[in-house]
Amino acid sequence: MKVVGARLPRYDGVGHVTGRTTYVDDVRVPGMLHAAALRSPHHNARITRLDIGAAAAMAGVHAVVTHADVPLLVYGHLSGAGIPGDEPLLAKDHVRYRGQPIALVAADTVDIARAACAAIEVDYEELPALFDVRLGFDGDAPVINDTFGNWYDQYEGNLDVRQIRKGDIDAAMDAADLIVSGVYRTQSVEQVPLETQVCVAIPEPDGRLTIHTCTQAMYFSLGVVCSHLQLPMSQVKMVGGTVGGGFGGKVDTASDTLTALAARKSGQPVKWRWTREEEMLASGNRGPWHMEIIDAVTSDGWILGRKMLTIHDAGAYGRFSVYGLTKHSFHHTGAYSIPNLHFDGYVVFTNKIPTTAMRGYGVTGLSTAIEVHAERVARELGMDPYEFRLKNANRVNDTSPNRIAYEDPSTVEVLQSLAAATGVELGDGLRAMTREQRSGDMLPDHLVAQIGSGGGH
Amino acid sequence: MELTVNSVSCTVQSPPLTSLLTVLREELDITSPKAGCESGGCGACTVLVDGQPRRSCLTALCTLDGSEVTTVEGLGTPEDLSRVQQAFIHHYAAQCGFCTDGLIVAATAYVGGGGSADTGDIGEALAGHYCRCTGYVKILEAVAAVARGDTFDTASTASSANNTYVTIAGAES
Repeated sequence: MKVVGARLPRYDGVGHVTGRTTYVDDVRVPGMLHAAALRSPHHNARITRLDIGAAAAMAGVHAVVTHADVPLLVYGHLSGAGIPGDEPLLAKDHVRYRGQPIALVAADTVDIARAACAAIEVDYEELPALFDVRLGFDGDAPVINDTFGNWYDQYEGNLDVRQIRKGDIDAAMDAADLIVSGVYRTQSVEQVPLETQVCVAIPEPDGRLTIHTCTQAMYFSLGVVCSHLQLPMSQVKMVGGTVGGGFGGKVDTASDTLTALAARKSGQPVKWRWTREEEMLASGNRGPWHMEIIDAVTSDGWILGRKMLTIHDAGAYGRFSVYGLTKHSFHHTGAYSIPNLHFDGYVVFTNKIPTTAMRGYGVTGLSTAIEVHAERVARELGMDPYEFRLKNANRVNDTSPNRIAYEDPSTVEVLQSLAAATGVELGDGLRAMTREQRSGDMLPDHLVAQIGSGGGH
Repeated sequence: MELTVNSVSCTVQSPPLTSLLTVLREELDITSPKAGCESGGCGACTVLVDGQPRRSCLTALCTLDGSEVTTVEGLGTPEDLSRVQQAFIHHYAAQCGFCTDGLIVAATAYVGGGGSADTGDIGEALAGHYCRCTGYVKILEAVAAVARGDTFDTASTASSANNTYVTIAGAES
């Protein structure tokens, strides 16, 4: 055992401290062009005219890529998992968020590429935009997404809602001494990696493409690029793994596909590095979540049931949002065991940047809501919030909303450590509590049926 | 325009209003200064100009005739690391590494100017640098260790003074 428990140095430490690590922006290729994007200035508009003639004719411009150059224009980030694609790589006749790319120009310099973007002639017919997920369900709301409408409607069983049903929620509500409800809304957050989205694509003499990528998900990006370009994977070589921060924001394939298209169209290596402003305004961010929680609790501090409604703001296109909502639904009891559940979740589209992963996709905002709610319930009951949390804390063989028996839930120890670290005195009973399977006072009747098996050590 | 970059005299051809960042990266192919924001906000492009840390993205070439510019490449090599570089390895102060070059340059100026091991002082000296990975704790520890005069073993990673290990009951089995 030379590695486990050893304090090893990081393998890339020397490169990182001497300026030798090669990030994508540091890749140098002879004859490399520089790219810039024309992006939508509108939140929701029809494109009635798109003319690249003047831009393409400018000195120093080598390629102007539009929707007409994309072999497969619409491909979804979850198409490989059977979720239909809804997002065109470049806008064709409709822009649905401000910052949506319409064209990419490859030129001798970035300045020429930007000037050429400004020379592309586009006529827009502006349409009313939708920004509030709660209004997406209204009959007179503008229709945001051509494929799904205003919310994703293709869950298993032809449902338009992600549902979880466990136990008997009506019986739990009837049996409750107290019902506590709350509405929690988290905002969008940009990941802000110090390295903005960047790609270098090189057409090789044998017809293959080499792509230097900042992706967090190499083989996933390979699949997305090859799908849009309709190329076998053997024709594309991705070089990556050195990422200047991602935090989830580089899970989307944001720059590789378009740079590859520009390289193929120009026949030259192309670099596309987003500006900080583009990164902030047009790259996928953590989406806002609207969460309504109704808990049925007893006066001695047990949570009998939870009814929950979640509306996830996906932005203009689906990308990974259905995955994020599903993960959210599996976690909607947080670190606590609640036997009777009724969860409805929607992925709703708005005229905002499509949202994506960021450190605990679908769960971070949820945890905020759950913990604030737990605090409120404890306060309503006049109960010590540690006691309330520890009673309901996940234990070995308690089951999650999607009926997985927990093997090593750490809620009890985390709460005990938190109390110790913040100088909170727990009573003897709470200090002695462990993660081991419920029994005695900690196994009231309502938690018996939810116990699963397969956990433990 | 004449510049000395990492002890090498250079004649630079870029137009006078070109940023030093662009001159270094695009004309001289010195890529350690990073284009994080190109507006002076993040610190990833920091270099030393005549020994003082400067945002290379905000520094116009025409202000630099005859100046001495030092990037992290000029502070030490993989075979001969500076003490600040050694400390960043030993204290695991670099994660993705994108902000690291600018931080090492600024920390070198801080320690070279007689900066103390007080983390408040270090924090003030490095306040213009964003790091999105580390949470800054290990960066502060690394710079404090240099200011204290510690020696560094780059073949291992130091334990953090701020780490508290909690034994989890039942997790040993």
